[in-house]
Amino acid sequence: MARKTECIAMLLAGGQGSRLGILTKNIAKPAVPYGGKYRIIDFPLSNCVNSGIYTVGVLTQYQPLELNDYIGNGEPWDLDRANGGVHILSPYQQIKGTEWYKGTANAIYQNINFIERYDPEYVLILSGDHIYKMDYAKMLDYHKQKNADCTIAMLEVPWEEASRFGLMIVNDDGSISEFEEKPKNPRSNKASMGVYIFNWKKLRKYLTEDEANENSGNDFGHDVIPAMHSNGERMFAYQFDGYWKDVGTINSLWDANLDLLNPNVDLDLDDDSWKIYSKSPAAPPHFAGKNAQIENSMINEGCDIQGNIDFSVLFANVTVEEGANVKYSIVMPGTTIKKGATVQYSIVAENAVIEEGAVVGASPEDMQNIDDWGVAVIGHGVTIGKGGSVPPKAMIDEDIGGDR
Amino acid sequence: MAINNVLGIIFSNANDEAVPELTSLRTMGSVPFAGRYRLIDFPLSNMVNAGITKVGVITNSNYRSLMDHIGNGNPWDLARKRDGLTILPPFNAPSAGIFSGKAEALYGSIGYISDSGKDYVLLADCNIVCNIDFEDMLKYAQSKNADMVFACAYGLPSRLPDSVEYLADENGRITEAKYVGYYDKEVLYSLKTMLVKRTLLERLLHEANAKRISALEDIVINNTGNIGMYCYKQEGYVKTIESIGSYYDISLDLLRPEVRKSLFNPERPIYTKTGDRTPAIYGINARANNSLVADGCKIEGEVENCILFRGVKIGKGAKVTNSIIMQNTVIGENAKIDCVITDKDVTIKQGKTLCGASNYPVYIGKGIVI
Repeated sequence: MARKTECIAMLLAGGQGSRLGILTKNIAKPAVPYGGKYRIIDFPLSNCVNSGIYTVGVLTQYQPLELNDYIGNGEPWDLDRANGGVHILSPYQQIKGTEWYKGTANAIYQNINFIERYDPEYVLILSGDHIYKMDYAKMLDYHKQKNADCTIAMLEVPWEEASRFGLMIVNDDGSISEFEEKPKNPRSNKASMGVYIFNWKKLRKYLTEDEANENSGNDFGHDVIPAMHSNGERMFAYQFDGYWKDVGTINSLWDANLDLLNPNVDLDLDDDSWKIYSKSPAAPPHFAGKNAQIENSMINEGCDIQGNIDFSVLFANVTVEEGANVKYSIVMPGTTIKKGATVQYSIVAENAVIEEGAVVGASPEDMQNIDDWGVAVIGHGVTIGKGGSVPPKAMIDEDIGGDR
Repeated sequence: MAINNVLGIIFSNANDEAVPELTSLRTMGSVPFAGRYRLIDFPLSNMVNAGITKVGVITNSNYRSLMDHIGNGNPWDLARKRDGLTILPPFNAPSAGIFSGKAEALYGSIGYISDSGKDYVLLADCNIVCNIDFEDMLKYAQSKNADMVFACAYGLPSRLPDSVEYLADENGRITEAKYVGYYDKEVLYSLKTMLVKRTLLERLLHEANAKRISALEDIVINNTGNIGMYCYKQEGYVKTIESIGSYYDISLDLLRPEVRKSLFNPERPIYTKTGDRTPAIYGINARANNSLVADGCKIEGEVENCILFRGVKIGKGAKVTNSIIMQNTVIGENAKIDCVITDKDVTIKQGKTLCGASNYPVYIGKGIVI
């Protein structure tokens, strides 16, 4: 029997992230690479261990192979433990049949047995969609201090963007008076971050009731939280200040990577007191060649740079040959950009090859109609042939020949 | 016979005295090298890449940094229940706990060696920089039915007191082994790496102990002709660190693509403890050419012909050339550095100028502020 644990975390990592298109064709969204060496899931996992939470259930469903492989026994995050540690929780066969996770709440419902093993007082619900550094221990203290049944982390977003979020109207004492889901005319700019702490006994009751309700979509935001609220449970908002970004779209993923190059953005990943851990490749330091020009960029181990790099994030083992230009781009591990090729305003996935003289993406300044502009995306293992060209906003999933 | 029938033994302190600057606070094995490694990563990874699953690391003195680095062996997949990594500090040594030679050190661990039950023992030092295929070396030993096989290379031998040269017949059998007399002549010289049948090693160690012979080389030289000794010639890049000058030269050799290709063969990667730092960050007007740059670096100045270790910071307007800058060194704004080796945690304040010469690099000790 597992040892009693005050608070355990459940990380919802089953989502496809369909708005990331070909980047999530073969991997779940939490496994999407970010920041030159990380994957999105490194952030909630590292936040957990830095907050002293060492029991984490990771709920997977969509394309779990790469995610399972990446998490392994949890050693990169110190989550290979005798008590607790990281556990991959996939849907499983039960005596009454087999069910996929129907919604976020159902995913937790199906794993009640896992949670009960630890007999926790509190359960922290997280998602694998966001880039942020947060001390969950402080949020738990707040939850206890307010004697809450449910605490929802929120942050204030710019008013003009508020209508894209699930919003909360919060009383002076921090309690939540109303929820608004993506309203046209927002009355609040306090957005939910998708981070919840529940009293486990309470949550278990609501999950069971939700499961019995045939009309429910079994979702936290749409079903369980409104049900708790309408029953008058003690629900509080916990204010978070700091960098937080949803990387659910190509543009936001691109933005969030380039944020790392902006010294004014409050996201320091080299902070010894709050490290973000990840699985590192066994590669030597990167090499900056005789004629390389590298500015305003992040370059990871194993890269061989002979060309010009500006405002870009390069993951491990990327090769950029002489005369190639890479700017405002994200280049994932193992990709090769050959002589004289140009990659701009693009995201290039793993192990792609951009042949000599090919051009990928375009600068917004060069567009006649700015609505046609967007970040170009090259899929995993795709080859862009010699002299080939990829327009902005394109998503390329298959090899493109060069000169035809 | 599988390669995991070989016990690996690494001498972490061998030739410490050759680079007193770098080993005053550490072992040869824990000397930082190539931006993110320690020297022991090379023999350790070579062994693991060949499928060896049991490795003992013999330590003598100053081994705290080494223990911190190798920990339980996890980065090399050596944190295992069956076999795995063991640190072998001085044990059963006759005087003051410090070994005077490798044979004596091995004798102190003879219980560990015989308990391993392996058929062969592979012995290696840390100051040989190469990526060697030990699996092939074992196959060679089996094909010759050799008692001992020495990894060696042809060229100018190292100027170390334990430098040994061999003469071999056309079958590769060693006919003569002797200490190098003339360092300026190309010979077949020892890479201080040998594969030996375990039972034979045990017998030789008992004999040596009885005769009070403490140098492993003496045992080899005395037994040439009695034992089936063969040489295994290592091709590709191989160098011996024998002085601070050679450490500097070998480090800068890494700027040559063919050297990196030979040492960092993707089929046989070199593993090390991770630092969980961010990728290197280049600022506005940063410049880095012909340099090896590790993670956690922040470059705002100019760098040319350098090795930058993890977490090095180069301030605005600073110019760093032909230098080896170790972990967490901070080079202040507008400082000028040429032909310098800074150890870990050095600070060069802004505007300072420091120059060595390419045949005589300046060494700045750990933690020094200039």
